[in-house]
Amino acid sequence: MRPRKMGTWALFGALVLAGSLGLAACGGDDSGDSDTNGGDNGAAAAKGGIYRVGTTDFGFNGGFDPSGEYLGWAWDLYSNLLTRQLTGYRHTEGAAGVELVPDVAESIPEPTDNGTTWTFTLKKGVMFGPPVNREVTSKDYVTAFERIGTESVVAQYGFYYSDIVGMKEFKEGTSKTISGITTPDDHTIVFKTTKPIGDFGYRLAMPATGPMPAEVTDCFTKAGEYGRYVISSGPYMIKGSDKLDATSCKTMKPISGFNPTKQLSMVRNPNYDAATDSTEQREALPDGFEFIINTNQKDIFDKIEAGEYEDSVDAVPPDVARRYSTDDALKDRLKSFTDDSTNYIYMNLGEAPFDDVNVRKAVNFVMDKDALRRAWGGPLYGEIGTHIAPPTLYPGSTEFDGYDPYASENNAGDLAKAQEAMKASAYDTDKDGSCDAGSCSGVLFLNRSIDPFVKMSPVIRESLAKIGIKVQVRELPTGPAYETSGNVSNRIQIGANARWGKDYPDASTFMVLFDGRNILATGNSNYALTGMTAAQAKEFKVPYPKGGVPTVDADIDTCAAAIGDERAACWVALDKKLMEEVVPWVPYMFGKNTDLLGPAVTKWDFDQFSGEAAYAHVAVDPSKQK
Amino acid sequence: MGRYIVRRLLWTVLVVVLVTLLTFVIFFVLPKGDPATRFAGKSPTPELIQEVKESLGLDKSVPEQYGLFLKRLVTGDEYGWPGLGKSFQNKQPVRPELIQRAQVTITLIIGGALLWLAIGIPVGVISALRRGSVLDRVSMGTALFFVSAPVFWLGLLSLYVFWKQLGWLPGTGYVSFGASPGTWFSHMLLPWMVLALLFAAIYARVVRGNMIDVMTEDYIRTARAKGLSERRVVMKHELRTGITPVITLLAIDLGVLVGGTIVTETVFNLQGLGNWLLIAAQNNDLPVTLAVTVLVAAAVSILSLVADILYAVLDPRVRYQ
Repeated sequence: MRPRKMGTWALFGALVLAGSLGLAACGGDDSGDSDTNGGDNGAAAAKGGIYRVGTTDFGFNGGFDPSGEYLGWAWDLYSNLLTRQLTGYRHTEGAAGVELVPDVAESIPEPTDNGTTWTFTLKKGVMFGPPVNREVTSKDYVTAFERIGTESVVAQYGFYYSDIVGMKEFKEGTSKTISGITTPDDHTIVFKTTKPIGDFGYRLAMPATGPMPAEVTDCFTKAGEYGRYVISSGPYMIKGSDKLDATSCKTMKPISGFNPTKQLSMVRNPNYDAATDSTEQREALPDGFEFIINTNQKDIFDKIEAGEYEDSVDAVPPDVARRYSTDDALKDRLKSFTDDSTNYIYMNLGEAPFDDVNVRKAVNFVMDKDALRRAWGGPLYGEIGTHIAPPTLYPGSTEFDGYDPYASENNAGDLAKAQEAMKASAYDTDKDGSCDAGSCSGVLFLNRSIDPFVKMSPVIRESLAKIGIKVQVRELPTGPAYETSGNVSNRIQIGANARWGKDYPDASTFMVLFDGRNILATGNSNYALTGMTAAQAKEFKVPYPKGGVPTVDADIDTCAAAIGDERAACWVALDKKLMEEVVPWVPYMFGKNTDLLGPAVTKWDFDQFSGEAAYAHVAVDPSKQK
Repeated sequence: MGRYIVRRLLWTVLVVVLVTLLTFVIFFVLPKGDPATRFAGKSPTPELIQEVKESLGLDKSVPEQYGLFLKRLVTGDEYGWPGLGKSFQNKQPVRPELIQRAQVTITLIIGGALLWLAIGIPVGVISALRRGSVLDRVSMGTALFFVSAPVFWLGLLSLYVFWKQLGWLPGTGYVSFGASPGTWFSHMLLPWMVLALLFAAIYARVVRGNMIDVMTEDYIRTARAKGLSERRVVMKHELRTGITPVITLLAIDLGVLVGGTIVTETVFNLQGLGNWLLIAAQNNDLPVTLAVTVLVAAAVSILSLVADILYAVLDPRVRYQ
């Protein structure tokens, strides 16, 4: 899923920081990490009040229709507040927050038939909110999968379900049902897959699979349309849902509590029965939520400070974070948690000089990762990255404790080791540790033109110059930068515009980035072109190096089919192989999510699944609100 | 005059068509890549990209898409007339949002314009009449300050002083007039002032310059020689001629501001057209970009026409064929 916005309000952010209000620029020397556990924020948590959250932009990319929406924060809203999937999470921080637990399912079953059949029993008494007002049945989950299989709905992560038996035929229109999903009764649903899928349970926790009442969703078959009509199965509903006239498609008007460019208001779902849920997953303490668009990011944090908002979706600006983290009276209100994203520099394995693994190793050795992290705002914004998938995706594993194949003092880069690596490269003709072939100059380096990415460009340029690589910097806004790097024919040699977050807590959601079979001419996300074949290079009209391009496709297949401990060990081994043998990236930082809480917040937690605030476990004291 | 107006209106239509064509070309030509990939998730499949293309109408050729856009603009679509389609980003119809946001922006512009005219013209006139005096120097110095001061800085500073420190005015946000006229006014006061200060400063300098030019004209000397009172000379002759160019300036400014109050709207969280255009441009949201562009082009063209007509009314020397 798309991680939250970092440093939005790009046009003005730098100006504001440089402006007259005396705010320091980013990149300070935060030495302490203000990580504090979630839990209470002082006063006793109680029910009641409205929890208000500011954001510069909702950023929904699928119209808030659960079938197509692919934004991390939207998933946070669905799974904490609005919809209940068969499986789910505890909505808390750390390892406990990424352990799969049953939600509407009575339990998480062991797959049968060699891992290809999953049979779930649904809890009784789970109800849809108004105006549907009936029990959620197994058929409502089938409806969700039928929407995923409906092309016009544009389910952005529908590929996770393409291995369900019959999904292909349903999608192509040769079958009216998905044969691999059956409902023997209202409380039983059976999934058959074409091959064992070790992480299928995680995939069923994704919001697109939540229950959907066909009597409403059948009216909305175009991308994003259902987003204004989402029917609740969770503790809250969109304000005004009870006024929705669902007697026919023509009588339905968008639910009043959601205006995609202004506000999303939620109130309690009167049909929600807490007995069908657990407080471990959802406490549902506030009486409602207000998510408010405020285009002035500075104003959002001023309002939090003044008690007019409780929280923000936007990352806390570094100057604000620094002020709170260094003030004993305020630092409890600043939260910072790893959000399971990796910020990385990618190198194009098909382009000189990065088609030589020794050059790629040299780049890893020389990169000043600490300076890159300072560009983001310091330790509050991330841990130094030393491998591909963040550590949370390897729960219980100690394999990455202290792991850093390119370690350097203070993470500032090790020029001597970089030069040693470069000497082994064909691009260092005189073996002095500096890249000196013609292709070492004018190297096309792509980055984003917004803060904090622009602050990284000089760091990267100078680090690379130390080993003789002279880059030509090209900075573009976020969208065009992604489009440019995703177009193979652009032949971007090295780039820092990318960051990646998990879809669910399994390393597979990172390893897809190295699957050569996924390389597309446009819209490609395997920017390093790991695993590209000569035939693909010909198709994309790009050069193919004489030595070939390393592939890990077989490793990915092996790991994807594994389950349990074997699966975890397999991904760990692949992560290390990528870091030490293939070396497509310089992973410089495991991202963190920072949150600033208002004075009225009495309980708060972080949702490790979504990488956002765990709204299921927040509480507010109305007497302290303004 | 009638023929002139008709000709100018036809010219307006041509301008709108050309501007939309240019916007289309920029959208499809400048960013090297497939716009559909931006709305197909982070790891799209070719099938998904195709689904997105079909969903957004990007599966058709660019000329076809442009033709369809013009057709819908003229004949309307399922969301009414003019047909502006759905936003690529949030999948919502553009037309109702455009109407809603236009109200906010127009409120901002009109309120701001009244303020800047009320401040700028008198200051310019007085400065011209007291040329070289302390009052003139202070006025023009202040004007120079506000012309130079970035709007975002003025906005943030005014919020800091009047909302955060003094608590005299509510902070950011927009409340509709219908919901509460008093709250509407209190929320709009700071944005009006911030927008007005920049333009008042410009207008004061323009009016002052024009007035000084006019004051040296022969007919002014003649008017004085005829024994007209100083008040009559200033009000009837100098001021009338001196502020005439302001009308053209005002018309163009108002038109441009229809989509150009980006900073003021962003700082004060007024979800108007400028702020919307900024977000749309960042997200490659073509339907929204086109809708605001059409409106701005039409507004600039029509307001220019109005200015030209007013010009003719105010200045007897000007006649249009």
